[in-house]
Parts: sequence; C-alpha cells; structure tokens
Amino acid sequence: MTGKIFDFKLVFTQIPDLLKYLPITMELAIASTVFGMLLGLLIAIIKIKKVKVLDKLATFYVSLVRGTPVLVQLYIAYFGVPMLLKYINQQTGSDLKVAAIPGFVYAVLALGFNQSAFDAEVFRAALLSVDKGQHEAAAAIGMTGWQSLRRIIIPEALSVALPSLGNSFINAIKGTSLAFTCAVVEMTAEGKILSGRNYRYFEVYVSLAIIYWAITILFEKILKFVEKKISIPEQVEQISPEELESLRSPKSKAKAYAANHKRLGGELAWQKNRGLS
Amino acid sequence: MAEKQRFVIKDLKKKFNNNVVLDGIDLTINEGDVLGVIGPSGTGKSTLLRCINQLEVPESGSIEIGESQIDLSNAKKSNLKNVTQLRQRTGMVFQRFNLFQKKTALENVMEGLITVQKKSKEEAREIALKELDRVGMTQWANHYPKHLSGGQQQRVAIARVLAMKPDLILMDEPTSALDPELVGEVLETIKQLAEEGHTMILVSHEMAFIRKVATRCIFLDHGKIVEDGTPKEVFTAPKQERTRDFLRKMSLLEEPEYVI
Ligand SMILES: Nc1ncnc2c1ncn2[C@@H]1O[C@H](COP(=O)(O)OP(=O)(O)OP(=O)(O)O)[C@@H](O)[C@H]1O
Ligand SMILES: [Mg+2]
Repeated sequence: MTGKIFDFKLVFTQIPDLLKYLPITMELAIASTVFGMLLGLLIAIIKIKKVKVLDKLATFYVSLVRGTPVLVQLYIAYFGVPMLLKYINQQTGSDLKVAAIPGFVYAVLALGFNQSAFDAEVFRAALLSVDKGQHEAAAAIGMTGWQSLRRIIIPEALSVALPSLGNSFINAIKGTSLAFTCAVVEMTAEGKILSGRNYRYFEVYVSLAIIYWAITILFEKILKFVEKKISIPEQVEQISPEELESLRSPKSKAKAYAANHKRLGGELAWQKNRGLS
Repeated sequence: MAEKQRFVIKDLKKKFNNNVVLDGIDLTINEGDVLGVIGPSGTGKSTLLRCINQLEVPESGSIEIGESQIDLSNAKKSNLKNVTQLRQRTGMVFQRFNLFQKKTALENVMEGLITVQKKSKEEAREIALKELDRVGMTQWANHYPKHLSGGQQQRVAIARVLAMKPDLILMDEPTSALDPELVGEVLETIKQLAEEGHTMILVSHEMAFIRKVATRCIFLDHGKIVEDGTPKEVFTAPKQERTRDFLRKMSLLEEPEYVI
C-alpha cells in the first residue's frame, strides 16, 4: 500500500468498471418500482373502496412495511422465502428448488414491497384529490366505473401523484445499493469487490457517489419534463378560422395542421399521432 | 315522427339516514316539456334529478321511458344495463359544470360519443364541433376548462349533454355558480334548447327565467310536489298557501309582471 493518500485519478478511471453494473442496478430499480406501484395502486383502491377484511389487512401491511428498515426487509426476504419453500416442500411433498430462485428476485420483491407501502399512500391521496364532480359527470353520460377510472380519474390522479412517484423511483435506485444482502452484484456490490482488491475503499465510494448523484439528477430532469408534458398547458390560443376548417374537413386537415400545430391543444395533437401532419 | 314519448316517474322515495328527502314523487313529463322545478333550499330538488339518473339510489320508485320501465331503487344491483341505458337517455347539466379537467372543450364533448356510444373519432369530432357551434364555443374547442370562464364552461357542458342526444335533459341550477354577468349567456343557450323542443327538467332559482321558458312548473317542498301547473298559474295564482309563502319570500308574488 504505497503511494498517494487519495488517488484522485482513480475516482474517475474506475467509473467505467462500475458502470458495467449499472444495468443491473437499473433493472432492480425499474422492476421493483413497477411491482411496488402496481401493488400500491391495488392497495390504494382496496382502501378507497373499503373492501371488507382486505382493507384492514392493507392497513396492517402498510404500517408494518413503513415501520421496518429496508435492510431488515431484504434479509427477511432472503432468509424467509427459502424457509417458506422448505415448509411447503415438507407439507406437500413438492420439490421446489430454493437454489433455483436468483437473488435478484428476493431483492425485487423486498424493494418492491418497501415501495408499495409508500406508493399506496401516494395513490390514495391522489385518487381522493380528484373532484367528486368528475366521477359524477362521467357516470351521468353513461360511462362505466372502469371507463371513468381509466379515462378520467387515473389521468387526473397521475398528475397529482407523479412528483411523489418520481421520488419513490429515485429512492428505489438508491435502495438497490442494499441488494448485496440478497447476493446480487449490482453497482455498489461491484464497488465493494473492486476495493477489496485494490484497498481504495474511499475512492470507490466517491466514484459510486458521483454515479448515483448523476443518475438522480438525470431522472429528476426527466421527471420534470414528463410532469410538464402531462400537465395542462398554461395558455392556449383561440383556434383560427383555418384551423377550424381543417378540423371540420379531414382533407385539408394535414396542411393547416402542419402550419399551426404548435398552437393546438390535446385533441388536435391526435392528428399528428395519426401521421396527418 | 314517432309517437310522443312520456317519462313517467312513480312513487319516488328517498331518505338520507332518517331524513326523508323525497316523499313519494309522481310525475309525468311529456316530450317537449320544459319542467321548471322551484322550491326552498334543501327540499330535494337536486336529489330528485340525481335519483332519475341514478347518481343516488332511492328507496323506492320507478321510471318509464317510452316502452322501457326501470326500477330506480335497485336498477344498479340487478341490472347494469338498465343504469347505463337510463344514463344514456338522460343528460345532466351540473351546477358546477364538472367538465373533465384534463380534456379540452372538444375532447369533453367527444368523450361520451367515443367511450359510451362507440363512435369513431372522426364521427365524434364532427358531432362535437356541431354541438360546440350550437352553444357558440367552437373558437374555444382546444381550450381546457381552466382556461374558460364559468359561463363558457357551462356552455361546453351543455354541448357535452346535447352531443349524446338524450331524451331528457336534467339541469340542476345551471346558472347559480356563475358570476352575475355570465348568467345571461347560459340562460340564452338554455332558452334556445327549449325553443328547439328539448325535453328538460330545470331546477333553478331564476324564477323569471322559469316563467319565461318553462311550459310547466312544479313547486317542491319537504319532498312533495305541492303545486303543479303552468308557470303562469304557479306564479300568479298559486293554489297552495305554502307556494304563496315561498313566492312572497322571494318577493315574486306582488310583481306578477316581473320579467328579465
Ligand atoms: N349525500 C347526502 N347525504 C346526506 N344527506 C344529503 C345528501 N345529499 C343531500 N342530502 C340532504 O338532502 C336534503 C335535500 O338536498 P337537495 O340537495 O336535494 O336539496 P335542494 O332542494 O337541491 O337544495 P338547494 O336549493 O340548496 O340546492 C338536504 O337536507 C340535504 O342535506
Ligand atoms: Mg340543489
């Protein structure tokens, strides 16, 4: 162990080695976020609809998950699931292979459960924030509950929920650094391995910090962009007579649309999607 | 032309907890009727409309539209088709407009045509533009509700109802959430609908307006129809003391010639 106290160059030169494991980190983050959001949405709907028994269960689950550290949850998944399988094998004489389950699955489950509790509250608040009049208007024109949820309520709730869901995703990215507990080698685990070889612990963690930070900033930017994209525009100009004409007669649509497409609101953008512009 | 339709509501009863709000309403509306509904606050006017299109489920009551008869008290549980059918044949204009916030005026009008009536986008757009034109809102087709004044929003809401071609239009105080200077444009639109022969139930505190456009008027009090007649009869020569009381309080009885 000779040389510099702090190897500044190494901080940057080893970044590419660490980035090789970025795909695993992102897969973990995306898979656990998708799983967590779906479960969270389900829990939110159960709680809002006050489904018998299930809503009590959901409340208990959310409280449990929120009240325990992720690290502990990961260990419980890692040690608990094999035990559960063993028990099932014993009871039913089946032959479920514990070893066949990759560590990745435990990590996604544990990180997903962890997120679901948070997302459930986010979805619940967002769904409840949609004005009752929106439900009634949809019902009054004959839309079914499902149609109104899908076409009216969820899009409105999503705008409200998006910032928090984005945060949840960013937390998930950082949370994946704990996946080593389930024997998954992602970026941080690879860092540990690298530093075990060259003893440059501090440098490796600084490299990791830089990478996580950069990714977080990137996703914050993407999030801002998406938020803006799905929000209602601040201002819309009145439709000009030509634009109106183009709406009325499909043939002249294309021309006028191309000329004016920046000025038009949502429905009109549809023409573009259909390749008419 | 087909035979004239009638809407027959029978024995409509609704209570919230122990609060009896509708106490046996029997009402027949003929096609082309514009039925004005007046009455003190909290007397069940909104509830009456909301039971008709099943936003509330009453304890008892039925509605007959043409050949079909629907049990309002359990249509929902026994037959989803009935509820949907009923809602397709009625349209509702809300006090607070309730336009879909994340949709443009045009999309608001198109929504039901596409999701409920399964029309193609092209056809839905064509119909929607025509209806927006009728309420004078085509220029604002690409605007979102938050860009529109209350009066404009309500006109779009009316276009949204008209586009569905309902047999019966339910209006619950369509102007009472509006700034005074915006009331006129909406009343004008409603008057136009009345002249076109749409069948409507109009709950409103705009007595003078009801007098002018309604073909018939009922006075509702404590969940019962107290007075039923032509607007002229109800406003100038009410038979019941309760009606006279109400009109006196509204200071309308002494001014039979009061018109907007
Ligand atoms: N969802 C509800 N739960 C409990 N009570 C209700 C509910 N909706 C209405 N009510 C009660 O029913 C009664 C009638 O209400 P409704 O809204 O039909 O009156 P209204 O005649 O439309 O009054 P207004 O002129 O003020 O609009 C009121 O006493 C009201 O408090
Ligand atoms: Mg009311």
